[in-house]
Amino acid sequence: MKATWLNRTRHTFAPIVSLVFILATTSHLGCAQLGMDASAKPRATVLYAAEPQTVPAARRAVLELRFQIVPGFHINSHTPNSQLLIPTTLALQPAEGVKAGELVYPAGVPYSFPFDPADKLDVYAGDFIIRLPIVATAGDHAIDGTLKYQACDNASCYPPKTLPVRIVFTAK
Amino acid sequence: MRRAILLLMMAAGLALVVWSGWQNLRQRRSAMQAQQQGRIDLMPGMSSAAAGDPSAGQSQLRGQPAPAFNLLDLNGKTVSLSNFKGRPLLINFWGTYCAPCKIEMPWLEEFSKTYAPDGFQVIGITYDSEVGRDIIAKDVHKLGVTYPILLSTPKAENDYLSGTEALPMSFYIDKTGKVIEVTAGLGSKDELESMVKETIASGGQ
Repeated sequence: MKATWLNRTRHTFAPIVSLVFILATTSHLGCAQLGMDASAKPRATVLYAAEPQTVPAARRAVLELRFQIVPGFHINSHTPNSQLLIPTTLALQPAEGVKAGELVYPAGVPYSFPFDPADKLDVYAGDFIIRLPIVATAGDHAIDGTLKYQACDNASCYPPKTLPVRIVFTAK
Repeated sequence: MRRAILLLMMAAGLALVVWSGWQNLRQRRSAMQAQQQGRIDLMPGMSSAAAGDPSAGQSQLRGQPAPAFNLLDLNGKTVSLSNFKGRPLLINFWGTYCAPCKIEMPWLEEFSKTYAPDGFQVIGITYDSEVGRDIIAKDVHKLGVTYPILLSTPKAENDYLSGTEALPMSFYIDKTGKVIEVTAGLGSKDELESMVKETIASGGQ
């Protein structure tokens, strides 16, 4: 009798228990993700999305370097429409076993500040990818570099900044 | 009895879930506030909607006497705030990398000429003076600016900008030497001219 009651109770409450477990788990995960977000105040205007990559060894390959610009901001492209503006540039240090080619910067998008719509600047906003052609020996590699950029929002500009970048990849 | 205990445990479990959810919501709200504050740190004193809005600028100096300065101009001559005593002024911090600054500087040049009969004077202070006089002079020439361009110092930046890195920043100083308005970011030409007129009118005859 007791066993039957327990079975029935388990049957009845199993969905509730499962719900409790799922809610508690998702709630915990939500907090963990949020904790990461909360601690990562957007002090920098540009972030490097470091993703380990795998390329074929001893053959020409292309690494994709992904950057994210904090919403509400833009930075000058590599080829801004004015000599007076600071272009976005990535400087890389030599790395053993890696022959690096010339960086390929993405095209910018036109941008005008309010109150002067006629003046079209060339900027990056949102995400952008710089491509790096390489030939690397088999093994794990890391290339260090620095992204130099200068950010503005829709009314103000901020001093040029540098972002350290470490490109990690495996050639095999 | 066991049933009662089980039900009690279930109730406690549900209560825990509700409490956990409530805590989660509170954390999300506080995290969102923290993120908002992070954004404000990046854009001190202004939001995108408040561009060029006088109320958006740093306000510590508003209503205060303008801090004294002794700065070098592009010819190496020392220029002091006291040189302009009794005149309505617009002190404009700008940078060679700052596109919106370069939009408004020709407007300021125009105002400096239009309102010169009223004693009005624009003074530009270059925030990134480390780029060197040659580059600054080249920019100034391209922009057609003839009003005095001075080289900033950490003291001047501390006195006027208080750690703010956003450019342009403008300080409107009436003829009594009081800062009557501070603006951050690019506003419209009409708004700027209106504040120039206010500055000229302020402080009596």
